[in-house]
Order: sequence, then structure tokens, then C-alpha cells
Amino acid sequence: MNTINLTINGIEVEAEDRTPLLAIADRIGVKIPTLCHHPLVEAYGVCRICIVEVHMRNRVRLVTACNYPATNGIEVLTDTPRVRRNRKMILEWFLSRCGHVPILNALAAEYGITEPRFGRGDDTCILCGLCVRVCSDVVGANVLGFFNRGTTRYVGTPYDEPSDACIACTACAQVCPTGCITIDDEAELVRGELPLGPMTPIYIPTMQAVPHQPVIDHDSCIHFKTDGCRVCASVCEPKAIDHGQQDRHEEIQVGSIIVATGFQPVDANKVPQYGYGRYPNVFTALQVEHMVNASGPTNGQALLKDGSKPKAVGIIHCVGSRDKNTHEYCSRVCCMYSLKLAHLVHERSDAKIYNFYIDMRAAGKGYEEFYNHLLEEGCEFIRGRVAEVSDWAVTPLEQGKLVIRVEDTLAGFVRRIPVDMVILSTGLEAREDAAEVRRLFNISCSSDGWFLERHPKLAPVSTFTDGVFIAGCAQGPKDIPDTVAQAGAAAAEAMALIDKGHVELEAYTAWIDEERCSGCQVCVPLCPFSAIQFNKDKKVSQLNEALCKGCGTCVAACPSLVAQQHHFTDAQIMAEIEGVLVS
Amino acid sequence: MAYRTHCLICAGTGCVSSRSYELGKALETELARQHLDDEVQVVRTGCQGFCAQGPIVIVQPEGILYHAVSLGDVPQLVTEHFLKGRPLRKLLYTPPTEQAPVPALNDIPFFTKQKLVVLRNRGLIDPEKIEDYIAADGYQALAKAITDLTADQIIQEIKRSGLRGRGGGGFPAGIKWATCRQAGLHRNVEPVVICNADEGDPGAFMDRSIIECDPHAVLEGMAIGGRAIGAREGFVYVRQEYPLARARLAHAIDQARDFGLLGTDILGTTFDFDVTVVQGAGAFVCGESTALMASLEGKVGEPRAKYIHTVEHGYQDRPSNLNNVETWANVPLIIRRGADWFAAMGTGDVSENPWNGSSGTKVFSLSGTVNNTGLIEVPMGISLREIVFEIGGGIPKNRQFKAVQTGGPSGGFLPGSCLDLPVDFDSLTEAGTMMGSGGMVVADERTCMVEAARFFLDFLTDESCGKCVPCREGLRSSMDILTRITKGQGQSEDIGLLREIGDVMQDCCLCALGTSAPNPVLSTLRYFPDEYDAHIHHHVCPAGACRDLIEYAIDPATCDGCHACVKACSVDALTGDVKALHELDRVKCIKCGACVEVCTRDAIITRPVHATDPVAAEVAR
Amino acid sequence: MATATFEPRIVAFFCNWCTYTASDLAGTARMAYEPNAPVVRVMCSGRVDPQFVLKALQEGADGVLVGGCHPGDCHYQEGNYTALRRFRLLKRVLTQLGVEDERVRLEWISASEGDRVQHVVDEMTAQLRTLGPFQQVRS
Repeated sequence: MNTINLTINGIEVEAEDRTPLLAIADRIGVKIPTLCHHPLVEAYGVCRICIVEVHMRNRVRLVTACNYPATNGIEVLTDTPRVRRNRKMILEWFLSRCGHVPILNALAAEYGITEPRFGRGDDTCILCGLCVRVCSDVVGANVLGFFNRGTTRYVGTPYDEPSDACIACTACAQVCPTGCITIDDEAELVRGELPLGPMTPIYIPTMQAVPHQPVIDHDSCIHFKTDGCRVCASVCEPKAIDHGQQDRHEEIQVGSIIVATGFQPVDANKVPQYGYGRYPNVFTALQVEHMVNASGPTNGQALLKDGSKPKAVGIIHCVGSRDKNTHEYCSRVCCMYSLKLAHLVHERSDAKIYNFYIDMRAAGKGYEEFYNHLLEEGCEFIRGRVAEVSDWAVTPLEQGKLVIRVEDTLAGFVRRIPVDMVILSTGLEAREDAAEVRRLFNISCSSDGWFLERHPKLAPVSTFTDGVFIAGCAQGPKDIPDTVAQAGAAAAEAMALIDKGHVELEAYTAWIDEERCSGCQVCVPLCPFSAIQFNKDKKVSQLNEALCKGCGTCVAACPSLVAQQHHFTDAQIMAEIEGVLVS
Repeated sequence: MAYRTHCLICAGTGCVSSRSYELGKALETELARQHLDDEVQVVRTGCQGFCAQGPIVIVQPEGILYHAVSLGDVPQLVTEHFLKGRPLRKLLYTPPTEQAPVPALNDIPFFTKQKLVVLRNRGLIDPEKIEDYIAADGYQALAKAITDLTADQIIQEIKRSGLRGRGGGGFPAGIKWATCRQAGLHRNVEPVVICNADEGDPGAFMDRSIIECDPHAVLEGMAIGGRAIGAREGFVYVRQEYPLARARLAHAIDQARDFGLLGTDILGTTFDFDVTVVQGAGAFVCGESTALMASLEGKVGEPRAKYIHTVEHGYQDRPSNLNNVETWANVPLIIRRGADWFAAMGTGDVSENPWNGSSGTKVFSLSGTVNNTGLIEVPMGISLREIVFEIGGGIPKNRQFKAVQTGGPSGGFLPGSCLDLPVDFDSLTEAGTMMGSGGMVVADERTCMVEAARFFLDFLTDESCGKCVPCREGLRSSMDILTRITKGQGQSEDIGLLREIGDVMQDCCLCALGTSAPNPVLSTLRYFPDEYDAHIHHHVCPAGACRDLIEYAIDPATCDGCHACVKACSVDALTGDVKALHELDRVKCIKCGACVEVCTRDAIITRPVHATDPVAAEVAR
Repeated sequence: MATATFEPRIVAFFCNWCTYTASDLAGTARMAYEPNAPVVRVMCSGRVDPQFVLKALQEGADGVLVGGCHPGDCHYQEGNYTALRRFRLLKRVLTQLGVEDERVRLEWISASEGDRVQHVVDEMTAQLRTLGPFQQVRS
């Protein structure tokens, strides 16, 4: 492109032809006031406050710097008496409409305005159009527009009604220079309860996320709704954001596989008597975990939904565990994390903590000691399965509280404990898609859906399929130390397999006596591993022992008894049959 | 069939609203009844221009003009004129300065001083018949432009003619066309031609009349322009308030297409050009070129900065050549009769540089307190005096001329001292007003100049798009000040403040509506400072118009007790016996002016509110 | 003719991966069940040749139980489907030969279903006790 020369306030500067004056001035540090300008949107040129003088030959023009294209040889003066006189009156006009807007008054002070000659109005919108332009050009939602013309012009939504097209991205409020757009956090409309999840479509999941990189949630990202925005991509210097990424299927050849697909927390909705989803202050443990984290939504405070501190908190153990209605097994980790939360919540809010337990499972280093510490802290432990949580107050003390009804089995009677916050210690369960996943690897599962290890005592991380290992909670509920131990074990076994350099085949493969094979080909389609091929020349079926896994299906099918399985020949099995029937 | 005589009825909007269509039908019926329908043809033409005297009927080839013809006159007119051959005296026009009627059109001063170039076909052809236009040498220029001339030659011809934009800007059309063509070639984007028929100025009806009387002139001009610029698409943006003009234009386009004069392969050549009529939606600001193009694109009609010209980036980002209706209507004649012929009319010498003069003619709509309100076309350079007094016939009721307003709300007021100014682009601009699109409003002694400025400002405040702060708020603050002044609440700082507001608006507004908005105020301040002074410092309206500053009274010398005012008064402020001097109750009087209108003796006078104040009374007279 | 002391003898062909492991689990979990079904281990239920069933009956078994993985879970993908097809055909033949329905049984038992092994063996044993010994026609 063309390079041109011009001067701004006497300073010589080079620029690309037709660059707006404001950009050039900005580059050399000359300040020109603006009100309706914003880097995100195209220049609009309506506030006129960026007026400057442009001298060319003998002609002087007053132009707006934000959109006037620079040409060769012009002299720009940004602060002459004429310019100042114009800006002053423009500010007085702004004040006549919006007399108490801080940004206007700040500018007014710079131009020596004390008593604006046209009075001070009470409006707050300066009609700069930034909100309108951001909404239509950047976000693409087209919710805001100008209505009427002349002095009755105003910014609003169609028919002056709340618009369905508004996606509550708050971009309008962000760009508004006067702060006259506020965001009403209407409970059902935007983000209802305490945002315990991501607050923006692009987010880093947690402080401890690995990798520590942002992800974009497809369902809430504005770009996928309106084809606009992409502000994130425009500010990313290394250009690492690509909204067009698609799922890719890659084939990787590996020697061994470790399946460590983990668990999912029990859905607290499955235990409806505890009020999850009905009462706002019934949380799951994971939510509270997120809350008390220093990088969480409340900066580590333990707060109720309305932002106040709880005075009493009830932690209910065994939600979804040790329960015929959900899972009969013990989820192993809940007792300890319940104690942890009891300690943290008490620390952050001074609330009285109640734990409702069946047994305290504190089997681990320092675990029992921690439990004792809590007892000393004043945490109250009530042995009994909570029957229900409700907000029906029977006494004045229970008004406005959540009441936990439980049989205190040690004391021997039913108690009603009013609390402000209820934490449900939800158990662990196999993931929803566990069945799908394990079938991919030919892994069996136990009755609860946890992946089945080869031997409960002697082979906890291997499966019945050679080369496929399991580790962690996919195999059953366990805490972090145990998971890490299993992970190490599985890794070691996997490496051992690879390192060996050779694979031991099963001893019990099948073979076909080619001499006697009749070539009937019954066996060929039966092999799931395609280990049998029919040789057209020799007209016999040939079995590849390397591929054979030793199921014996072909053996059973062979009408000529020509296919046999090592260690499981017909003769051997017949002999066994005879053997077991010897009385 | 050969008619021996033609009866041409004015069917411009003005006369149509005075039932000239029914008049035409009645004439045809009566002629048929008297078995004259194969001898006399009734033709409905466009606006004849003599609007104050309508409905107008002209009989050719005699050239007799009848004015104020009503349905009841028809039988007698037919019998007398067409059967017996005698002009019907009672319908002949008598100029105010004459004693006897002047039958011939060409003798009537209103017409003699005019020079019809754009309006050459007015009153002669039926605008709804393309054959009439072709018979009057129509579309010959287009044929010449397509077959004999290159694009550059056409542009050269227009440049040499000195034709300057008739919409108000006065920008040389030839230069605009050349720039647009260049932009199209350079950017490799097909240009588009646009005709601005938005005509938003109050009191302007030139463009409307041109389209209504000779739509093909505009179409031919646009087609020639398309050929010169390289455009195949043309738009006519007609304001919503002109249904008759739109209908005639659409009809003309259909007929032209049928005749192969618009559309593809025009006149059997490879030249394509077609025109679409687009309707406005009631915004004055859409007369501004960038706002018009935004409206054409279907967006809100709001202007944008013109640092990037529309000739390069206009409608749909294409090079766009926008000209006024009247400008386009001049083009066929220039091509047919030559640039020299056109340049010979008007002022200055445009042979080297179109900016050096104002060639050709200008159509004006003359209105206000003048006898002959109507549509006129005069050569550039004619004096204001000739227009107002000779063509316009002077001020009614022999009142005093006070000012003439030109250029609509963007223009200004010129006092009596400027009456001898030649009417052309540059003289008017120097004098503090502008040619504008051709609206010319005459004001007499009863017009308050402050109120007139306020009136235009009120119009602009309503029509401002409101996008930029100086226009929106500047107009609002000026209006506040002027309104206060007209109510007698002016302060001495007001004049200085009005000037300052005007200066800032001229410097800072985004479009020409804003930058020219201070003109009414600034020109009245320049030429009529005493009126402002009287309003502010003495709370007196010298013209007796500002209601808060005047009171009505009955002049005992002239009142004859005819009782007409008593009947007209809606608040019973007037009392009196018939044939006796009437009385006016100042407390009840709301100064609506109904009594003033009906009083044949001009016995109702206005005087300053504080008539008993000797100083005020002195100033008032 | 069932006698009070008649104890049916069932030969159980269990696939190594599922049913055999399940029975192992039943053992480690100390589940008690009838001892009437000694197990012949095969790698897959697909290895079970119908001839084994006939041989077992011929050699004096009162019933044959074949145990394999649940459909879809076969360690060798499809072996149990093959077993199922063979079993169906076999049953039709056996029915024609007069072998009672309860005597030859195919069960799907997965590796964790030790209790199912217990249940099936107990049930089958009880049924055969009532049914009586398998009478062969001896030439």
C-alpha cells in the first residue's frame, strides 16, 4: 500500500494512505478525546468530539479524526482555539442531555466548563451507539437499535420489550462509556444460582487443570449462535484460537492400552428426599469443593445462595452409597472428604457443622487422627441415616432453615436439626458410558459396572484381555493414593509388556491338519480373528497360529475333526468327561 | 385523426386537487354532446405553472389561457369558444396591474419572462403518452448518445455545457460523471445512476412538477448518463408524499420498455439500461445523498461521513452518480442541441471551467405572499426583482415586500436591498443564502423574520436524523432560544449564543442538513438585526406576528360592522351590532387570526402587547 | 423313578473367562452350592462340540450344563453366539430323541456372577433329582 507523509501538531509522521487520523495520532502519542469510538467496532463519527483541523494548501477543514482518511501532505492540528471552542460547545450539548455522567464531566473540566450554558439534563445515555454497534457487528445478536429520529432518538429493543434474541453476553454493558446499561441478574434468565461452573464460554476449567489451557464451550459460545464475536480470537496474539476445529478420528497403533476412565459422582437427584434441586442451599460435595477453592466463584468463601454466611451446616454421608435404592457398595472416599469439607467450611464461615454418618471409614495414614481433630473442633457427629431434608418449620427456631430429620441411633431418638446449608456427600459410580467403553476393549465388568480386573487379589490392574490394563476409579471407588498406586502398577505392567520385545502367545491355539482337511470351509467364517484362510490352490483351510486366540469355535465346528486345539483336543475333553463321571 | 384545436388541461397535482380530472371528463362529455369531439382534442398535461390561478385550461393553437375553470363553466366554455369561436371573457386572466384581461398565454407577464428549457414540454404533451414525448423530439438525444457519441464525448459535452447540480449543491455534473466513470473503471465495479426526487424542502415542488409533466425527460437523461458512466442500472428515489409523480413515472417506464427505449438492447444496440422507482418513507434527511443511498439499500436513512465520496463508494459500495431530477431533465437537450447552446444562457463563462458561472436555466417554485404563486423557469442571471414583481406579479394587497427566502431550510433570507442580485449559484451564496433546489418564498411586511427563522428551525429539528450531537442538540438549543425570543423572553446573550451555535454547527455537523441548518438564523441576523433587537430588548414584534407580543384590535377608521369577524371567532372575543363598530375582547382573544382572514376591510390590526408603552409604540412603528 | 438317594450327575462345561471365573468367585466368596456339577473347563463356550454333550449323557451324566459369557461379552467376540446356535439345534435333536428339556441347559453367567453359578447349579440339581436318572436305551 501507499505510504504518505503528514504532520500532526507539527510532528512529521509517515502512515499508510487513508489511515484514519485518530489511529495515526494514537501511534505517536497525541491524545484526541473520543466518546463514540471503540477499537472493537467501526468508527461512527457521531459525537464529533474528536474534531480536528486539517490544513491542505490554503484550505482548512474541520473533520472527525476517527474516520477521516489521511492523505499526503496534510497538516493536522488537534488543539487549536477553534477546535477547543467547538469541543467545548459539543460537551455543553452533551451535558444538556446527560448532565451528571462522570465521563462527560471529566472531559468538561478539561475544557473549562463550570456552568454549561444549556443546563444539565438527567439522562444517562449519550446516544454514542456503541452498544448498538457491538451487538450487531461484533456479537451478531442484533438486539439493540436506535428508534425515532432527531431529539427523540433513543436506544432500545424492538417494541421496547425484552428481546428473545438477547443472549446476555453483556457486551453492551462492557462498551457503554457512561455505565447507563446495567445487567440485571434475573435468576431464571441468565445465570441462576451461584455460578459453580464456568462463567464464560471460553474458560480454563480449574486452577489445577491439566493442560492449563482454555477450552471453548460450544453450546454457550456466541460465535456458534450468531456467527459473530470471535473477540477471543482477535485478542489472541499467537492466533491459537480456531473456531472451525472439528472432531478428528486418528488411528494410532499401540502395544498396550491402559483404561483409566474414572468415575462419575452419583446424581443427587436420585436421592430426592434430600431436596437437591428443590432447595437452593442443598449442595453436592463437589459444588462445595469448588466453592471453597480460592480460585472459585466466591474466592474461597463458604456462602449461601444469597451471599450470606451459613450459621449451621449439615453434611450427609452415604448419599447414593451403601443404599439398596442406588448402590450397595461403599464409595470409600466420602467419609474423608466430608471431614475435609467440615473442617474447611467451619474455617471459612464459623458455622456449626453436623455430620450425619453410618460408619466413619478413616482407614489411611493420618485419617483417624484427622477425625479426632474434628471432634475436638466442635464438629458434631450424629450416627444415623438422614431420612429427609425439608423446609417445613415446626418451631420458630426452624423458620427459614432447612430441617434435617434423622434417627440418632446412638442417642436412640429421632432428631430435627435446623441448618442453613446441606452438603450431600455423593458417592462414586461407574460412568454412564462405561458399558460402551469396556466393550471396546473386551473388558468385563462387575455387578456395579466397575471394570473387572483379572483377579481381585493378584491382578488388580490387568484385565482378561492381554495388553489391556485398567487403573483408578474405573476399576472401583478409591481415593487418590490408591489411584496413584494403581496407575503406577498399570504403567509398569504395560511397560513390561512392551519392553519384553516379544509376546507370549497363548499355548492353547488351534491347528488344522492340512493333510486331512476336506476343504469344506465351515471353519473359515467362524473365526472372529480371521485366523483361518482358505488356500484355493491346495484347496485346504489354513490356520495362522499367530492370529489364533484359542477360543476353539472352529474346532467344535469341524466335521472332519481335523481342526484341534492344543490342550483342549477332543480326545482330552472326552477324557475329562469320562473322568468326571467316574463315580 | 387531425384535430383542429387542442384543449390542454393542467393535470399537475395542484390542479388535480382542484378537480381538473373531472374537468377534463366534463369537457370531453360536453364536446361529444355538441358533436365536436372529433375536432377538439382534450389533453391532460403536466403542471402549467400558473398554480395560483388553477384549474388552468389552455387552448392551442390560439394560445388562449383560461384560469379558475370550474365544472359549471364547461357547457358555456364549449359553446362559446369551441362552437362559436369566441373566447369566454369571464374565464380570461387579468394581471393585477392591468385593467383588462390578457387572453394570450404569451402575453401574460407570468409567462413572458420565463424561459422553458427543462419545462419545454409543459402544457403541450400528455405525460402519460410516450408518443407525445417522441413527437416532441423525445429520445433523439438518447439515440445520438448511443450510436454517435462515445462515453467520453458525452461527458465532455456535459462538462462544456457547464451544467451544475440543480438539487442545491451546484456541483458540475460533467465532473461528477467523469469521476464516477473513472471510479467504476479503476475499481472494476459497475456504477449506478440515481435520481434524487426526494424534494424535501417545504414549499418546493419543482421536481414533482417536472416528473408529473415530462417524466420521459428524466428517464432519457438518466439513460444518457448511464451510457456515459457505464451504468446499466438506474434508480429514481421518489418521496413517499408524491403518489402522482410516482405513478406517472412508473407508467412512463413501462411505456419506454415497451418501445425498446429502456431495458436490454435499447434501440437495437447492445446498450442496456433500466430504471427502478423506489419510494421514500417521509424523511427530509433522505434527500441527502448518503442517507438516500442507505435508504435505497433498505437501511435506516441516516447520513454518513462524506470523506469517502459516494461517486467512488456509494450504493452497495458501488460508484454511484446521484443527480437531481432537474439536472437529469436538462441532459437530453444538452446532447441534442449542444453544449454551446446551453452555455450561452445564464451567467459567467463556463467554456473552460464549469465552476466559473451558472449556465442554463433554473426552475423555481414561487410561493408566499406573492400574487402569482406557481412554477416558473427562468434563465440564470435574472434578477430577484424581475422574478418577484414581473413574473410573480408583486405583493398582494399592495403590501410591502420584506424578504425573499431561497434554498429552503438550508438557505437564507434576502432583503429588499438584494432584489437586484442576479439569481445564480455564486451570487446567492455570497449574499448569505443559496440557490438550493429552487424553492423561493416571498415575505411581506407582515412576516416576522425571527418567527420565519424559527419556523425553519422547527422543521429541521423535526427532520434531523439525530445521529450527530451538534445537529441534534444544536438545533434543540437554537430552537429553545428562538422560541423564547418570539415569546418576549429573549436575553441579550442570545444573539451571541445563536451565532456561536451556528458557527459550531457549521464546523462540526456530520452532514449538510446540519451544517446548513444555521443559515436561516444567520441570514436573518445579518439582514434583520433590528427585528431581533426589538423582540429581545423591547418585547415587540415589528411585523405583528408573534402571538405573545401582539394583541389584536379593531381599527375604528376602517371597520364597517359587517359582522363577518364575529361569526368567524371561535371564542366569542368579538362583539358588536351589525353596521356598528365592533369590539374585541383582548382577554378572550387567542390570536388565531380567523377574523383577520375574513375581514374584507383589513380592519383588524395587530399592535404590540404593551401598546400603551410609548417607547414600545415608537419602536413598533 | 427317583429314589431318595439319587444324586444327579451333571457335567458342566464352563468357559474360562466368564463362567469358570464366576464359579471361582463363588468359591472364594464361600458360597455353598450342590456338588453335583463337576466342571470341564474350555476356553470358550464355542468350543463345546455337541458331541461332548452326547458323550457326557452316554457316559452316564444325568444332565449337561454349558456356561458362557453374556451375549456381547464373549472374550472371543462371537464364540457364545456359535454356542447358542449349536445348542438350539442340539436341543431340537435331543427333544426328538426323548431327552427332557431340563437335562441340557445353556446359561450365560458373567465373571462376577458367582451367585448365579450357585443358583443355576442348585436349581438344576433339584430339577434333576425330581426328574430322576437319565435312562438310555441300551441296545
